[in-house]
Amino acid sequence: MRIVDNMEVESDVFKENGASCPSEAGLKIPERMIKREQDRLEDVERKKEAKKSQSVTEEKSGFFTAAFSSERAAIEELLVGCSGETDRTLATQTLEEVTTRTQQLQKFLNDSMVFLPQYVLSRAQASLQKLQNSLAEKRDEILPKKRFAFRSRATNTPKAGPPSADPVSVITSKDSAETAVDAAISPPEQCGFSHFESQVLTKSGEEIKQQDVLLTHLTNCKVRLLGSPSTVHIKHIQNCEIFSGPVSSSVFVDHCTGSTLSFPCQQLRTHHTTNTQVYLHVTSRAIIEDCKEVRFAPLTWTYPGLDEDFKVSGLDRKRNNWNQVDDFNWLAVGTQSPNWSVIPEAERRTEWD
Amino acid sequence: MGLLTILKKMKHKEREMRLLMLGLDNAGKTTILKKFNGEDVSTISPTLGFNIKTLEHKGFKLNIWDVGGQKSLRSYWRNYFESTDGLVWVVDSADRLRLEDCRQELSSLLLEERLGGATLLVFANKQDLPGSLSKDAIREALALDNIKTHHWCIIGCSAVTGENLLAGVDWLLDDIAARVFTAD
Ligand SMILES: Nc1nc2c(ncn2[C@@H]2O[C@H](COP(=O)(O)OP(=O)(O)OP(=O)(O)O)[C@@H](O)[C@H]2O)c(=O)[nH]1
Ligand SMILES: [Mg+2]
Repeated sequence: MRIVDNMEVESDVFKENGASCPSEAGLKIPERMIKREQDRLEDVERKKEAKKSQSVTEEKSGFFTAAFSSERAAIEELLVGCSGETDRTLATQTLEEVTTRTQQLQKFLNDSMVFLPQYVLSRAQASLQKLQNSLAEKRDEILPKKRFAFRSRATNTPKAGPPSADPVSVITSKDSAETAVDAAISPPEQCGFSHFESQVLTKSGEEIKQQDVLLTHLTNCKVRLLGSPSTVHIKHIQNCEIFSGPVSSSVFVDHCTGSTLSFPCQQLRTHHTTNTQVYLHVTSRAIIEDCKEVRFAPLTWTYPGLDEDFKVSGLDRKRNNWNQVDDFNWLAVGTQSPNWSVIPEAERRTEWD
Repeated sequence: MGLLTILKKMKHKEREMRLLMLGLDNAGKTTILKKFNGEDVSTISPTLGFNIKTLEHKGFKLNIWDVGGQKSLRSYWRNYFESTDGLVWVVDSADRLRLEDCRQELSSLLLEERLGGATLLVFANKQDLPGSLSKDAIREALALDNIKTHHWCIIGCSAVTGENLLAGVDWLLDDIAARVFTAD
């Protein structure tokens, strides 16, 4: 397999037909004809340049935002105009136009995705979603019910607006049903600890070496994983201390409160977690989603054999991005997410056992 | 000539395919994509947006879209549905706790009109992990046998070792090619 291209859009804006020069051998061409041809070529060149610089500008998100908002505003205006329209045929026509232009706007957004910063993209997507929703509402309002083709399309459009109808919160409701499933499909051979209270729980290097470890439903426990697991899942945890040796791939944390976590890993993925301290060595990136009051500091916990386990894990000891945390609920670039912070040095834990 | 016919013709000429890779966060999508090229997989971060790669394989040009699977990004998945020839659904076979979540997300994708014509490849990834479920267990958990609307296939693989990645893609290409490029 050969890689051809990597996150690049090719544009054929520049592909102009080569300007052919009619100066065929042996033909005597009048002076002014040559002059005119030169002018024409220069003009072509100028136009090419103009096009080129325009396409460069187009790829800038500033241009995107301007074009996007003005088109959106225009569509909104059309949509508002629909309401006052008493002539049903006219209203229907306007709706059709709004539909087409909204679809084109979506396409414009899709085509621009490659060069847009995430927050511009999210914002544009959100406002487009709003527009699609008002369009759907307007359809319901204006078009007679027998146009079920429209109605079915309208119901396909996810209704945003109130957060309760947002796909994100719909998924949250599945979480509660999950516990029953947990028990059904978790076979006993899974390496880890589940359903303990107020215990000290330790696993040796031999037990967890290159294993996928699962820690669930623990309260007031101290967990020590003294080796290098392949991956760790941590779920439904309250007031625990969970320390682990180097995890060669990701650590997945979900529903954890009032706890202290410490480990080296390649990725840390934290969900639904509150009031938790993480002493971390992460070689790629830590992320949080639906979290509050998560605080980070660099890893300092150690145990005999840590050096050896680092080697086993393959993690780069020199690369630690513990303070570069991506918050998936806070995509504004340049402003600090309110959901996580760095533990001030004076407050960091120094005693570990 | 309808738009669809034109599209088919154009693709026929270009022998180009668009593959969309989706799945829950942490499934291993980006790792699979990078592994195809023998790129370093140790520096991969959770995907905040999406990655696109264009690869050439077996005389086809493959445009592969890898979109982030975090909950907050899933509502954007539908922006990438258009003209998808193949859907690659990646599953973390060791993530037993989210299999139900995984099943629901997949089944709602399969209802999408704009993915109607796509072939489905399910990668039961992370088979290298000792606690991973077999591809048959995944097949059952995701109720794949109930799928009547799409051509589908499940393949156990590991993005870390590279095992079976090519086998999966080859199956997908063959299936798409049979549908799209031999139509006329
Ligand atoms: N053991 C093992 N780990 C894997 C495998 N594939 C991926 N991983 C690890 O799983 C974690 C998640 O992989 P990613 O490729 O970032 O997952 P993703 O599906 O792209 O996740 P999002 O971008 O959040 O949607 C990383 O730590 C990978 O190293 C595999 O086959 N085996
Ligand atoms: Mg990814």
